[in-house]
Amino acid sequence: MRRLCAVSVLLGLCATAVAAGEISHDLGTTTVPDDPQRIVVLEFSYIDALASVGVAPVGIADDNKRERVIPEYTAVIGDEWVSVGTRKTPSLEIIASLAPDLIIADKNRHSEAYGTLSEIAPTIVLDSLGGDYHASVDQMTVIGEAIGKAEDMALRVAEHKATMAEYVAQIAPKAEGLSAQFGVTNATGLWLHSPVSYNGSLLEMFGFSSTMEPDGAGGLYEKTYVPTTLEQLSEINPDILIFGEYADPSHVDSWTGEALFDGLSAVSDGTVFNVTAHNWSRLRGMLAAELTAADLVEIMDKID
Amino acid sequence: MRASPARGALIALLTCGVLGGTLLSLATGGRSDVGLLSLFDGDLLTQTVLWDIRAPRTLAAACLGANLGLAGLILQSITRNPLASPAILGINQGAALGLALAFVVPVFGRVGPDAMAVFGAFGAGLLTFAIAGGFRGRMDAMRLILGGVAVGAFSYAMVRFTFTLEDDIARSVVRWTVGDITDIRWVETTQLAFSTLPGLAAALALSQRLNLISLGQDAAQGLGADPRVTLFLGMMLAAVLAGVSVSVAGPIAFTGLVVPHLARFLFGGEHTVLVPAVAALGAGLMLSADGLSKILTAPVEAPIGVVAALIGAPWFLWLAVRTKDLE
Repeated sequence: MRRLCAVSVLLGLCATAVAAGEISHDLGTTTVPDDPQRIVVLEFSYIDALASVGVAPVGIADDNKRERVIPEYTAVIGDEWVSVGTRKTPSLEIIASLAPDLIIADKNRHSEAYGTLSEIAPTIVLDSLGGDYHASVDQMTVIGEAIGKAEDMALRVAEHKATMAEYVAQIAPKAEGLSAQFGVTNATGLWLHSPVSYNGSLLEMFGFSSTMEPDGAGGLYEKTYVPTTLEQLSEINPDILIFGEYADPSHVDSWTGEALFDGLSAVSDGTVFNVTAHNWSRLRGMLAAELTAADLVEIMDKID
Repeated sequence: MRASPARGALIALLTCGVLGGTLLSLATGGRSDVGLLSLFDGDLLTQTVLWDIRAPRTLAAACLGANLGLAGLILQSITRNPLASPAILGINQGAALGLALAFVVPVFGRVGPDAMAVFGAFGAGLLTFAIAGGFRGRMDAMRLILGGVAVGAFSYAMVRFTFTLEDDIARSVVRWTVGDITDIRWVETTQLAFSTLPGLAAALALSQRLNLISLGQDAAQGLGADPRVTLFLGMMLAAVLAGVSVSVAGPIAFTGLVVPHLARFLFGGEHTVLVPAVAALGAGLMLSADGLSKILTAPVEAPIGVVAALIGAPWFLWLAVRTKDLE
């Protein structure tokens, strides 16, 4: 009888192990190995997830620019990864050559390649580009399970939530009654990150309101990252403007001196701030959100 | 030649078209609370928006329409080819290549993007003409179009090639692949207007020569106007008009093709009448396209080049199907 019990427990454990390998994601369910060792990630937020539990990916879609993986990540994951090309069009050939045992891809960028990626290795697909902050934290749990580090990840998520709660406690009282807007600008235009975007949802969590009216129509880029003219910006007219500049001089710089720009509340009140565009705009995840929060604390200190 | 009352009605209609386009372009924009009526309230914000943002854009649209229409008219006349236009002959794409070179190659950068656009337009036009045999005095209609397509495709491929070089350069160059006047201000508009007004005067001065060359190169030679001089002057003028337009707004296709045909249909083939008619029609078309570009996909604005293509492409197709004999 005792032997029978032992066998049942053993069978039960095996069943649990198999069940733990079944990961539900945005494009279905994928069976992943218990403890994947060769992971390829195709978005920056997945580096954030892996780094937060001390796992180094073998391949990263780093846009062929290794410096886009910031020192805060390389301190944990080292610099041994192989670049698999751009996030937009990663090289399937290089990914295959790395013989990965898990691929983490993005819903917006890589859905069409899901079949091919799945032939190379078990692939899970999450909405990194289009998802908001809360979704990005939820994705951490999914990734934790997929890489066999569910418990470590749960601890890190709890720690992150506590850290963010402290930041909220610092920022929210000062943010009360203020609207804030983040946008990225290159040499040719300005794109505002709407309230449904990753940064928009972060600003909302810190207690800022938004004066952007979400349209909801159009594709991802139309409703999440909205191309904005000076005339449109003058109508949105938030109390605080935060710009991430990808060019110097940027398109927004070219507006300096124009009556409509100088008449913006944030410009006349001196509450226009520049932050690192890459950290705010391209990165997502727990460490990225904490960097953003630290920037916001600095910004609010200047407003005092 | 049409009867003068009919022509009077046409001129009145054209004036209404330009005025209507101007009002549409001025009344639309990023701020829903700013319209033409609020101007009468003496509101400072309305005045700022209308004067700083919308007026230069409206004038730029009008100048672009006039420039591209005139360039198309001149090219169609000197080549005696109904399909000739700055886009078909590769001139717009050549201008875009000139701009791309100005961004990528430091030596060309020193020349300045505007001059490089004109050089690019002129170079592409010359090449197309040479391929068609234009400088030997016998221009082959089919060779001209094929040459234009080849030069245009090559120039555009080179522009696309610069995308792969460096992200920041790619972002600067990508702006020159589709006509866009979203964020145009008085500086660019003034520059454009300085090409449109002398361009119009030069086209008027050239109109007699254009009448003669329309009769055929031999007939023009017989009547004392060396067709090669007309060809060269016309080519220069078309390159400057198209080049400056591309340097300010990026390439806009179909306007240069459609407008001269519409003008000929309404006003006949006399170039002294056609030149101002084409300028006004082109302006009216682009003003309307600008207004539509702000309405069609609101709140996001569509590039004016896309709207112009949406209007012009079906016309081009109709023209191509309808033209029985290209030789």
